[in-house]
Amino acid sequence: MEKSYIEKIQIHKTNKLAALYPSTKLLIVVLYMVCTFIVNTVKVTEYALSLWLIPEFLVVLVLCQASGALKRCLKALKAVALIALIILVVQTFLVPGGRLVWNFGILHIYENGLQTAVSLSFLIMNIAGIFVWLFQTTENKEISRALEDSGMNYKAAYVFTSTLQMIEILGRNSKTIMNAQKARGVETEGNLIVRAKAFFPSLVPLILGAVISSEERVLTLEARGFTMQCEKTHLFNLEKSGIEGTVTVISVLITVLLLAGRIALWML
Amino acid sequence: MDVVIECKDVTYSYPLTEKPAIENLSVQIERGKFYGVIGENGAGKTTFCALLRGFCPGFYKGVLKGEVLVEGKKTTEYGGELSAKIGYVFQNPFTQISGVKDTVFEEVAYGLENFGVAPEEIERRVIDVMRMTDIEALAEKNPFDLSGGQMQRVALASVIVLEPDILVIDEPTSQLDPEGTESVFAIIKALKEKHKTIILVEHKIDLIAEYADEVLVFQGGRMIASGDKRDILSDMSLLEKGASLPQVAILGDELRRAGFPLKEIPVTEERAIELISGIMKGGKKDA
Repeated sequence: MEKSYIEKIQIHKTNKLAALYPSTKLLIVVLYMVCTFIVNTVKVTEYALSLWLIPEFLVVLVLCQASGALKRCLKALKAVALIALIILVVQTFLVPGGRLVWNFGILHIYENGLQTAVSLSFLIMNIAGIFVWLFQTTENKEISRALEDSGMNYKAAYVFTSTLQMIEILGRNSKTIMNAQKARGVETEGNLIVRAKAFFPSLVPLILGAVISSEERVLTLEARGFTMQCEKTHLFNLEKSGIEGTVTVISVLITVLLLAGRIALWML
Repeated sequence: MDVVIECKDVTYSYPLTEKPAIENLSVQIERGKFYGVIGENGAGKTTFCALLRGFCPGFYKGVLKGEVLVEGKKTTEYGGELSAKIGYVFQNPFTQISGVKDTVFEEVAYGLENFGVAPEEIERRVIDVMRMTDIEALAEKNPFDLSGGQMQRVALASVIVLEPDILVIDEPTSQLDPEGTESVFAIIKALKEKHKTIILVEHKIDLIAEYADEVLVFQGGRMIASGDKRDILSDMSLLEKGASLPQVAILGDELRRAGFPLKEIPVTEERAIELISGIMKGGKKDA
């Protein structure tokens, strides 16, 4: 028997971790960030570097793999890794202070630069990484439904969900504008400067277009009864994976143990 | 006369503007009739539609003098429930997608979710409307992946599914190709057969001549003519005022001036064929 349309729009995940309720996932994200900041305070080597952040990042990869979304997550993490790498290089070579660690011609690496570079770049990798896991294993409508279920005003939930959707739309629009510029003979491909020259003028039509269309979208929503004062129906129902309680207890336990361990290290 | 919307001496100005967008407008819209709204760009057609739907001054603010009554109640006194009475379809198909739904089915169902309709009824009504608007094959597609014509049909379906008695449709075919235009008008025709009150802004005058019952002509913020489509669209004096008239009416007028015995100026091709073939047959008999 063919499924009804309402059945077709439901999300049934077989992977228990990927199927976690969005608020549980959000709790994991928050606790992971807390753990990251705790780990960041643990300094190793004679230069006091936060090197434990590197193995900690493996947790993100393990989580992605266990959720069956490693491929998708790695794709998204590429962009984050590039930013982290740039920060690592810039901070390493440009921040002065402390002992001289390495010296070659005009290039100098100082202790403070190395500390900031390692700390900042791997903090970014860890925090961005856990968010990548959250968004790659959770669909927008799951987040939206969970937000409304948690008591958030439906208008705020709409703003949140439409913003997530709009990122993709703006990306498409930006490509259209760039193609239009290319058709007019503007160079859009080449080195970084050429690309920047083509990119910045495209921002004005992109942003103005978005502002104008947002006005019409408000009216569209109004025409669809968005502001109707009544109990709204939800065709999409959010399912729980059944291991939310266990995952919450384990996550809290790990965070508490990590915090206790850190305090013990200080005291020792 | 069953009046469903009435504008009583309405003058409306947008914020920060001196010249009113609509001036001294008085008009009565009858239930179950199809009104075609025509006029040049900037004539006030869209503002007129926005006034009927309460977007002016409700959303745009500005200054409103006079009264716009929907079923005897001022539009300013309605809240969100006006969306249950008046369906509104906009010009741009790309901005009529809610932006929060992943499939066409969910997009069409969105308004009914806001109305709190039961899921089983939502599914039934959405399927019916998708069939009517010929978008059932697109039901599981992302609305943003559709062409302009398909998006416009989705937008129409999203409004029709709410089953409003009055439909205000603002240039629904402005960005569509002839095929898309035809499919949108087929839907509008089906709505007319269901005795919905339709107010349609459209530049394609031949389509207005074919489908509308009455025509309202706007120029410079004023309604300069209104009445039965046969009277309005055959009034050649409107050409001097910047309004466009059907080609067949202009041809009919030229023929009459040249002495061709047309008893009326036809406004549709169908009527022109009827009249001319009637004259030809009469001529043959005489011969």
